Amino acid sequence: MMGAQKYVWEGAIPLQIHLHESEITSLPPPSPALILAPRIGYLPLLLPLIKPYFSSTLPPGQDTLWFDYKGLPLKWYIPTGVLFDLLCAEPERPWNLTVHFRGYPSNLLIPCEGEESVKWSFINSLKEADYIINGNCKNVMNMSQSDQVELWRSVMDGNLDKYIRSSSKLKLGTVTTDEADMVGQVKAGKIPVRLYVWSVNEDFEDMEDAPEVDSWDQISYINRPLEIHKEGKYFTLHEALKNLLPEFFAGKSLINDKPCIEESEDSQKVSSEDVGSSTGAEEGKEIVSQPMESCCNDAEIKLVRIQGIEPKLEIPFSWVVTNLKNPEHFLHICVCVKIPNVNAA
Amino acid sequence: MATDSLSSARKVIVQLKATADAPILKQNKFKIHGTDKFAKVIDFVCRQVHRETVFVYINSAFSPNPDELVIDLFNVSFCSS
Repeated sequence: MMGAQKYVWEGAIPLQIHLHESEITSLPPPSPALILAPRIGYLPLLLPLIKPYFSSTLPPGQDTLWFDYKGLPLKWYIPTGVLFDLLCAEPERPWNLTVHFRGYPSNLLIPCEGEESVKWSFINSLKEADYIINGNCKNVMNMSQSDQVELWRSVMDGNLDKYIRSSSKLKLGTVTTDEADMVGQVKAGKIPVRLYVWSVNEDFEDMEDAPEVDSWDQISYINRPLEIHKEGKYFTLHEALKNLLPEFFAGKSLINDKPCIEESEDSQKVSSEDVGSSTGAEEGKEIVSQPMESCCNDAEIKLVRIQGIEPKLEIPFSWVVTNLKNPEHFLHICVCVKIPNVNAA
Repeated sequence: MATDSLSSARKVIVQLKATADAPILKQNKFKIHGTDKFAKVIDFVCRQVHRETVFVYINSAFSPNPDELVIDLFNVSFCSS
């Protein structure tokens, strides 16, 4: 079951980075930088790669690196892959970003002092995950300085083998054995989840017609651990989402938009695996056979995206957690919700 | 838990404990909306101690991201301890 996790770690987003026009002091203007950014990485860590492209043209002053996408300043503590899944409803490749080395928008973004800030944020997320899973942060706190550095380095370098070696000491495995994984069982406990709920008002058929995110106010950043009470019960992604976002799964209304359950290569692979579990197959069928009608008064989920995949909702949640979580042990889920306009009702 | 987080309109009482060289505050408890961000707590503490930067931890354990909602943090710390 290492396969999918490996794909996540090797996953990268091709970026085409343009220097903001206000910072171009040379003629001709510099050409954009083409860079592969790891999904599990963070934008400020790209500084050593980007700086050489633009250093000769920058105006005098101190570097304070930040990025924007179509004018929206990007939050640096969100993993690059999540930013892409969230802000590029219809994935754009390469992803065109604008880089700034001056004029940090400190009213909109948390200050960032390079790698140190990113590491601090990463370790604190790891502690938060530890707190959710174990009720304290002892595992992370008791890590030796060198182990911590090694763990961080493995994330920076995208070295999964090294990461597995140094993180195994943390005992943060909520979903442990491969056996349990096959039948979709999850140990009772809590799973750290970060949700990015993007609310839109107007309806659209294709994701390419989706409106743009022009303010972070349109996205709710929700941190809700998922509590699993019954040990050994088959638990689907759909059930997990229903538990995490009860406000959008009122009554029996189900996800009714095709893209959410469209078959991708990854979900295909998964669905063939969970045939072995009879309860799983039954529950899966039940979900699929539900009429695809929308409940007119309720919010409607348009899209669920995790690590670039729009998974089938009947896949085992344990598989999702084991394979698609980020190195700080949080599962990041991007959700697009259509909230009907109050005036239209 | 779910019902808890649904009623995010409610207020959360935050108790502050000084650590390291931070001064002990006259007002060490305050109420805040669950829908507020943790940044507001940090801001409040900054103004109370008259410092530019402060480190604020939850249950002396972790320092959350300033964008996290107070109600989410309350649910995590309340349900675990």
